[in-house]
Amino acid sequence: MTLQSEFRAPSPILLIEDEPSVTAFLRAALERRGYAVVDASSGAEGLEKLDGGKYSGVISDIRMPGSVNGAEVHAWIQENRPELCTRIILITGDTANSDTQALLAQSGTPCIEKPFRVQQLLTIVERTFGKP
Amino acid sequence: MELAVDAAQSRHLPGFLERFAARATRMLDAKWGGVMVLRGRETDLYQANSSENPLEPSQHGALVRLAREHRREIEVRLLSTDSALTSLTEHSGAAVVLVPITASDEENLGSVCLLRDRGTLEKNERNLLHALASHAALSLENFRRFSQLERSKRQWVEDIDAISDYIVVHDRSFRIVRTNRSLASHLGVPPVALVGEAMSSLRQIGETGSELPCPFCRDTQQAREEYVVASPERIFLVSTSRTPGVSDDDTRTIHVLKDMTDRREAERRYRELFDSIQEGLFFATPDGRFLDVNDAMVRMLGYGSRDELLRADVGPHLYPVPAARERFLRALSERGVLRNYEETLRRKDGTLLHTLQNITAVRDANGKIVQIRGLMLDVTEQRTFQSQLQRERDFNQKILNTTQSMILVLDTAGLISYANRRCFESGYREDELIGHRLVDWVEASHRTDFEAALETTAHGHQVENLELRVRRSDTSMGHFSISLSPMRDEQNLVNSVVVVMTDITDAVLLQAKLAHSEKMASIGRLVSGVAHEVNNPLAAILGFTDLLLENPAIPENAREDLQIILHETQRTKDIVQDLLSFARQRPVQRELVHVNNVLRQTIKLRSYDFASHGVEVSEDFDENLAPALGDAQQLQQVFLNILNNAYDAVQDAGQRGHIVIHTGRSEQNIEVAITDNGTGVPDTERIFDPFYTTKQAAKGTGLGLSICYGIVRAHGGEILCRNNEDGPGSTFIVRVPIATEAATTAAIAKEAGR
Repeated sequence: MTLQSEFRAPSPILLIEDEPSVTAFLRAALERRGYAVVDASSGAEGLEKLDGGKYSGVISDIRMPGSVNGAEVHAWIQENRPELCTRIILITGDTANSDTQALLAQSGTPCIEKPFRVQQLLTIVERTFGKP
Repeated sequence: MELAVDAAQSRHLPGFLERFAARATRMLDAKWGGVMVLRGRETDLYQANSSENPLEPSQHGALVRLAREHRREIEVRLLSTDSALTSLTEHSGAAVVLVPITASDEENLGSVCLLRDRGTLEKNERNLLHALASHAALSLENFRRFSQLERSKRQWVEDIDAISDYIVVHDRSFRIVRTNRSLASHLGVPPVALVGEAMSSLRQIGETGSELPCPFCRDTQQAREEYVVASPERIFLVSTSRTPGVSDDDTRTIHVLKDMTDRREAERRYRELFDSIQEGLFFATPDGRFLDVNDAMVRMLGYGSRDELLRADVGPHLYPVPAARERFLRALSERGVLRNYEETLRRKDGTLLHTLQNITAVRDANGKIVQIRGLMLDVTEQRTFQSQLQRERDFNQKILNTTQSMILVLDTAGLISYANRRCFESGYREDELIGHRLVDWVEASHRTDFEAALETTAHGHQVENLELRVRRSDTSMGHFSISLSPMRDEQNLVNSVVVVMTDITDAVLLQAKLAHSEKMASIGRLVSGVAHEVNNPLAAILGFTDLLLENPAIPENAREDLQIILHETQRTKDIVQDLLSFARQRPVQRELVHVNNVLRQTIKLRSYDFASHGVEVSEDFDENLAPALGDAQQLQQVFLNILNNAYDAVQDAGQRGHIVIHTGRSEQNIEVAITDNGTGVPDTERIFDPFYTTKQAAKGTGLGLSICYGIVRAHGGEILCRNNEDGPGSTFIVRVPIATEAATTAAIAKEAGR
């Protein structure tokens, strides 16, 4: 990557997802559309990266193993990166969970339910983060 | 009166009379003289010189005949020549002179009889004869008195000797004057042997502790004494009389010793029996005073001693109810004897004593009761036991009658011999239970189980919680829990079986429901987990398939394959979505739902299909149905699902389909029953299980009713399915709670605020 391109390129999207196959698919789909992607395989790693870098948006799975889940990532951003508050997309495999439902209802954060079509993803990403 | 001459004295009298006869004969110059004495019917004849001139029997007879002729005056009778007496004189013209001997009381004692040669009597001779007769009379009378005295004295001694009591008479110097034969024979000596002996020699009869020389005297100053002397062997009642005299000689002390040993013994035995007997014995006056009671009686009534009971005026205390005493006296007065008379008395300490009495009234000549005699048994214990038994029996009866279980007793042949009240309250009639076999009420397929249990019980083992289907009195079958217990007789042999039956149909249903809902919940958790795990790989598959399809380098034939992958992935996604719908307790919309309206809208959705396929739908709605609180959309999904199933079922049944939708209120629920006349449901228990389906594979995922189940549960209601009992097809029942008043008000306010 050149300095110029670095300069021109907007900040990457931070992708927090514990499932490697899903991460791979999301990265492929987003990069193909022109987005830069930085990924983290857990909530804790995601927070580390958020703390140490600049991102144009965050896509996070809700249910993840480990000490930090999607809801906590969402809460951290609200606390520490208010500018990113409206630039979060949550992914869930389980909308039945009442905590998830509460989070979605309260924040109005867009959410994509697994499994989803590429087009569904890109529509929401473009609407939330803007075109690359 | 007769002149009885004692045999002992007779020898003195004949001598005197013979001498008298001789003297008279001589004085009056008679040829023969004699005295004839009347002795009853006998006549004794005494003659002078009887040994020299014995009379011939004819002469004797003739004289006696003459003598017995009564006369008051001297008579001179000439003898005829043929008289037997002529030979006594040897002289013609002889006469017999008869002089009556008359006692002072005019009694004819006999005659003096003289034979003389001449028949005349000079005056001086006549006077002499009178004097002789008087003398003879006096002598005879004296003799008779003496003889009477003698005889009575002898009789007295005999009488005293005949008395079995010991009699001893002593003088002032304590010398024995006389004893009777009993006393002497007691000492083994003749009575006379003791005369003159000292009284102290009689000490051996009985030790009296007396300091005096006479063992039987206590106070010689007393004219009379009476006391009891007890020796180790005998007991005597000593009665003493003293006759004071002017001299020592005529002062007599008479002791009569009455042997009381036997009487005392009898008395002692009687008393012992009286006191040792365990039954209470009493003698009482009609006014309620005890005259005598035995120890048992004292004990029974709780008094300290016999005297205390006899002293106290116990009548009023004895009867806790005064009227009871009057009733008792009335009954006794009427009947005289009371047998097994039951009476509750009060002990000294106030506790009650239940008695059984046998009473006899003793009456005086006027029929008035003067004494009451009775025997009393303490039956308090029995009575207490009896009442306890009664209480226990009542208690058991109450348990038997109030228990919600049916309790029956069977004999060893299995015939019902007893049924508690509950059985009859359940509708069974006595005549269809008692004497019938219980097994006949058991459902046919369960009878061998029941009989095996009965057999086990007959061998003395308990059988518990046997669950059998039993026909109820209304012919419906109920699910019963049955316990059988052997009941044993005194020989420990099983003689009957106690059967406790509880209708647990409702409990079984409830349990089944619980088990079912638990099963559904665990399926829900499982499905939820699986769905979530499946979604990640599915997301990757679907995503990469999309990316591949976007790739222009993919050849056309591979693209077709990718389309299939895409399609099947979509299908998998739908299944997972349905599973999650079933599993998730989706928060239902809380708004007032009018179930009838929801049903009408649902029917409208399928009305075209129903009409075109000849399926008739009837509405049987309760138009006053209260609203439920929930999500109309979701409930519609439930009803639609059920209607679709019903439609499929009646189509498969191949006859004119008919679906009836009923709404109504059931307790605090709105109940919707959707009945079809279709094929029915093979397994109503599993119909709501995910993937359970009776349909062909293409027709559904097998999750429709599972989703309905999830929705209804989320509404706090229940859904169940059963096959119709009165015809083909099945009925689905949905119950959702009626909105409470508070919830309704809140919901209305919320709607208004929107």
